[in-house]
Amino acid sequence: MRSRDAHRWMAPIAVSLAMSLAACGGNDPQPPKVDSLGPRPEMPEVAAQTGAQRLTIPQYRNAIRDLFGESIVVPTALEPDAPIAGFEAIGASVSTVSSSGVERYEQAAFAIAKQVTADPALFASVVPCTPKGANDLDCAKKTVTALGRRVYRRPLQTGEVDKLSGVLIQAAGTLGGFDKGLEFAIAAMLQSPHFLYRPQVGEPDPNNPGHRRYTSLEMASRLSFFLWNSIPDKELLAAAEAGELNDDAGLDVQVMRMIESDRARQGLRAFITEYLRLDELDALSKDPTLFTYFSPEVGPAAREETLLGFEHLVFELDGDYRDIFLTRRTFVNPKLASMYAIPAPTDEGFGEVELPSNSPRIGLLGQISVLALNAHPTSTSSTLRGRFVRQDLLCDDIPPPPVNVNTGLPDADPNARTLRERMKKHLTDPTCSSCHLLMDPIGLGLENFDGIGRYRKKDNDVEIDASGEIDGVSFTDARGLATVVHDNGKLAPCFVRKMYEYATAFEHTEEERAVVNALTYDFRASGHRVKSLMMSIATSPAFRLAQKP
Amino acid sequence: MKKVKLNRRTMLRGLLGGTAIAIGLPVLEIFLNQSGTAYAEGDALPKRFGIFFWGNGMLPDRWVPAGSGPTWDPSPTLAPLAEVKDKITVVSGMKVYTGNTVPHFSGAAGILSGAPPIDNDTKLETFTAPTIDQQIAAVVGQDTRFRSLEVAVEPGGRSLSYNGLHSNNPPESSPAAFFKRVFVDGFVMPGSMPEPDPRLPLRQSILDGVMEDAQALQGVLGSRDKARLEQHLDGIRSLEKQIEKLQQNPPSLAACAVPAKPLDAYPDVDGRPPLSEISRAMVDILVMALACDQTRVFSDWFSNSVGNPLYPTATAGHHQLTHDEPGAQPQVHGILLYILNEFAYLVKALQSVPEGSGTLLDHCAILATSDCSYGKSHSVEEYPILIAGGCNGALKTGMHYRSPSSENTSKVLLTLTRAMGLTLDSYGKDAGLVTSSLTAIEV
Repeated sequence: MRSRDAHRWMAPIAVSLAMSLAACGGNDPQPPKVDSLGPRPEMPEVAAQTGAQRLTIPQYRNAIRDLFGESIVVPTALEPDAPIAGFEAIGASVSTVSSSGVERYEQAAFAIAKQVTADPALFASVVPCTPKGANDLDCAKKTVTALGRRVYRRPLQTGEVDKLSGVLIQAAGTLGGFDKGLEFAIAAMLQSPHFLYRPQVGEPDPNNPGHRRYTSLEMASRLSFFLWNSIPDKELLAAAEAGELNDDAGLDVQVMRMIESDRARQGLRAFITEYLRLDELDALSKDPTLFTYFSPEVGPAAREETLLGFEHLVFELDGDYRDIFLTRRTFVNPKLASMYAIPAPTDEGFGEVELPSNSPRIGLLGQISVLALNAHPTSTSSTLRGRFVRQDLLCDDIPPPPVNVNTGLPDADPNARTLRERMKKHLTDPTCSSCHLLMDPIGLGLENFDGIGRYRKKDNDVEIDASGEIDGVSFTDARGLATVVHDNGKLAPCFVRKMYEYATAFEHTEEERAVVNALTYDFRASGHRVKSLMMSIATSPAFRLAQKP
Repeated sequence: MKKVKLNRRTMLRGLLGGTAIAIGLPVLEIFLNQSGTAYAEGDALPKRFGIFFWGNGMLPDRWVPAGSGPTWDPSPTLAPLAEVKDKITVVSGMKVYTGNTVPHFSGAAGILSGAPPIDNDTKLETFTAPTIDQQIAAVVGQDTRFRSLEVAVEPGGRSLSYNGLHSNNPPESSPAAFFKRVFVDGFVMPGSMPEPDPRLPLRQSILDGVMEDAQALQGVLGSRDKARLEQHLDGIRSLEKQIEKLQQNPPSLAACAVPAKPLDAYPDVDGRPPLSEISRAMVDILVMALACDQTRVFSDWFSNSVGNPLYPTATAGHHQLTHDEPGAQPQVHGILLYILNEFAYLVKALQSVPEGSGTLLDHCAILATSDCSYGKSHSVEEYPILIAGGCNGALKTGMHYRSPSSENTSKVLLTLTRAMGLTLDSYGKDAGLVTSSLTAIEV
């Protein structure tokens, strides 16, 4: 691989891929000239960490839908995902399933299997033959062979076919009916670790002695869960079986196809949801007596607004990632429109709007999702909001608060009515200030938005001062903050790192830092195009090379 | 009527953290009486272990009772327990020694597992050792339908029950789903004859196949994944045990009754979750799950570590108040009273179930604790520890033990495991390691 593929990891190729993807988006500004970025750092040939990731709940649901269709109802009570380092995808690599989780898998498997076997159309879609009675072993084998390949995301071995068809025939005989047997065979597959996990062990790379690579079939799952958050489709599986995903050109064809397919939207939404913790919006807790505009529908709507914004940026515009911070265009339903004090674009559902040019609200940091999530149930929080920008958007580490110190914040009183005044102690007491200076001066820039993200001019009747600074660059209000974040040099590397960790489902190691650097260079060279970044990650050596299990 | 065959072999299987757990005789003395319809009287009644946990600590000044030994008066925070004072032991003045590097998390790991959590450097926060409930469940959970049960009261609640690294037992947080799991899906009333169900052996045969698949994968995966699949296998074995139980006719248990069906949902009232209503619904089911011997180990996660729920009348979330409420923190105190009231409800509910010559509570050891002591500063000194129930006479109750020397909280854990019949020589890891128990509260 090394000699033959040496060219592959060089910038011009990455840029040309980016351009070809960008071309689908229309007349967008061209990416910056590569020269202005300096020399491209070397892309090291290190393998990302790996393991047998367990499917997250969304992945499980998507897989069931892709296997059996939209009509199947998956029970809600699956083992909850355990986010680690901010990502459920990473938790899925190291966490285990509990005893009650195993019970839930069994219940879900039977609930799904019953729906499939009870519906004649679904039954016919799964059984490729006409069973001649309950004990038709030949038809049973054909059925489990065809379905098992899609459920396990690889062809079944003979022993597996025998075992699953044995389950089918045994249950069919006991309960009197091929359909009953099928129910048990499906339930068996859906409880198997071959379905519930993504075992990845790799193989010696014939082109690169001493290195291991993922097999073509393993690559199919790696790609589909990264880019689609679901199982491979028929075309990807066929390409994998033909060995095409170990081939540079074959891989490029599939990755391009995947990124341009509709399912990539679902994949991007999954990443953004995890990255920004948007799923927490579904159970957002706010005091409705203080926030009269709040209702349980606000959180889910705010989540949708943010997701639609990212989808639009990435797929309709193929725009610069950083634009998400400066855009005035967003997607709102009537409830959000009223909270933003703008006319609703539609009577129901979501429509695109452009916030007026004098709006104090701009970009992602002006969205209710981010503002409400990073606040308390009854108040704002400059610390939580600042931490979000610092830690999640810029990837700076913030140490946890020291123990055995009083972390109290004084109540509002006549001498300290605004949050800024009350926060003074945080910023003057040296025990607190070393960390709070990293967060509060950022978060105070969003004080014009209350705990649910509504605009306000005053806090306790005092005019809000929303000035602040990040890394020595000061701003006067939320619009200024958005520009400073947009221009911050850490923004792009942080986004690359987050997507890389999401894709590989592990926190990056010291060794992989160089991979992130090289990917960041390509991301910048592409004009910060997210589709280009997906392409770079999916085709990078780190994503293709396997460590020894 | 066929006698339930208690399987001692499986009880000896308990291996945790590489250390074999020796099993004390009392656990083995769970015999049926002659007719096979009830448990034998007295000491042979099974012992049960539970955790009641809330987040954000307490206010030490209002927590520690005056007086010690058998003569003590409930402190302002412990006032809700006045009626059941005789069944409670308060342990005060103890300290978590496993370090305090991660606010809230370190304290919780120390008091529940006796070991430090994984350091924050990696950001992969997790306990490094199994929690006490799971250590006990590995031994006493083998012969019940459920090895252990975990419930949460705070909506979206999490549990800190760990089997080991990254191996959490998530709680059930819907009373309706919890009720269904214990008392609807496959529940067989003790003393009744289950209908033969041909699906049960078929389900078992599927699980056999799943087990083979997992074992085959263990052969090709790396060591971390091998261990993860081993946990999965444990879960399958538990499920097989359940299915096996469903095919047996369990002994009649006088106090066992199906509890009232809870509401389908407990929506917020004025934006605040009805914690008391949820808690009581959960407790009513839990208590009957114990009385019907569906499990002998549970954990009740009343509120999350760092949880920020809005309590009735509070002006901010619990966590925020512990840090920001000035002065004597009357609102935080009010929340603690609310929580202790619900703990009292649990204790009284256990006490209301007659069992043998005493009550279910007499056969329990319930550890009630939090993730720190003084919430405002995340302190781990002067740790809040309550123990309810006498554990079949193994534990003293009705007393306040005041540690004279900031003793290691792991001593409490060693005492509790011994009371439950495990004969451990030591408890905890690193600075949390102790080799002696808290003899002052042992009988």
